[in-house]
Amino acid sequence: MKIRDILGNLEGVTTHVAAGEDVEITRGFVGDLLSFVMGSAPEKALWVTIQNHVNVAAVALLKEVPLVLLASGRVPSLELKDQCHKEGIALASVNMDSFEVCGRLFAMGVRN
Amino acid sequence: MNPLSRQEPYVIQREVKPLDFLAAGETASDFKETLKSLGIPPEICRKASIVTYEAEMNAVIHGGGGIIALELAGDRITIVASDEGPGIENVSLAMQEGYTTAPDSIRELGFGAGMGLPNIKKYSDELEIETELGKGTTLRAVILLDPSGEEVSDLCRTV
Repeated sequence: MKIRDILGNLEGVTTHVAAGEDVEITRGFVGDLLSFVMGSAPEKALWVTIQNHVNVAAVALLKEVPLVLLASGRVPSLELKDQCHKEGIALASVNMDSFEVCGRLFAMGVRN
Repeated sequence: MNPLSRQEPYVIQREVKPLDFLAAGETASDFKETLKSLGIPPEICRKASIVTYEAEMNAVIHGGGGIIALELAGDRITIVASDEGPGIENVSLAMQEGYTTAPDSIRELGFGAGMGLPNIKKYSDELEIETELGKGTTLRAVILLDPSGEEVSDLCRTV
C-alpha cells in the first residue's frame, strides 16, 4: 500500500513532512524504546511511536523507515521535522493511540 | 579468500560529543553509507550500523562522549568505541537485557532501555569490552564479512 493511501485511509492525520508518497509499504512496527526498534524492527517498515524527538529520525534513517506515524496526536519537535525533511522520511501525527493505529493498519493489510 | 577481503585496511573515525542528542546517530548513518558505497552487502551494513548506533548512544549517554572508529580489513569490519567515562561497574550485568543505569530523563526519551550492549552482542560476531572504573571503556566489536561457519564468541574483560 502506498504512503499516500495509508495516510488517506487513517482518520485524524496531520502530515508534517510529505515524502515518498508513492512508496509501497507492506510492513509495520510499533515501539517507543529506540534500542528495541533498532534491534527488532524490519527494514523499510513504517514505524508507529509516541517518541517525538529528533533521534526518531536517526533510528528511522538507519532502519530505512519510509513513514513515521506519531500516535496519540503527538506533535514532532522542530528538529525531528527538519531532520525528516532533510532525509526524505514521511512524518505524520495521528490522533488515535498506538493500539488503534496498529489495528487500522493491520486491517489495511500492513503486517509485521 | 573472501572476494571482499582487502589488503589495505580502511579506517575512519568520528568524535561523539557527550549528551549531543541532535547529532546522535550521525556516526552510525555515516558508517552505513560508507560501507554501502564500498559494496558491502546490505545485511552486513545493517549489522554494522546497529552496533555503531548503540556504541554511539552509549558514548553520548554514559561515556562523556568518545571516539568511534570503523576499520575494514581482511575478512572483517571492526568497530571500536572508546570513551574516558566512568567505566562499567559490572559488565556481566550490563550485558543483560533490561539492565540499565540511565537516569529517568534519558529513559523518557526512549533510550536507556538496557538493550544497548545486548544489541551490540546480538549483531556482532566477536565482542570485547575493556573497562576500568573512573578511566573509561573501550569496546571492540567484529562483524565478519562472511559469517557462515564462524562461531560467535565474546570476550568481556574488566581490567
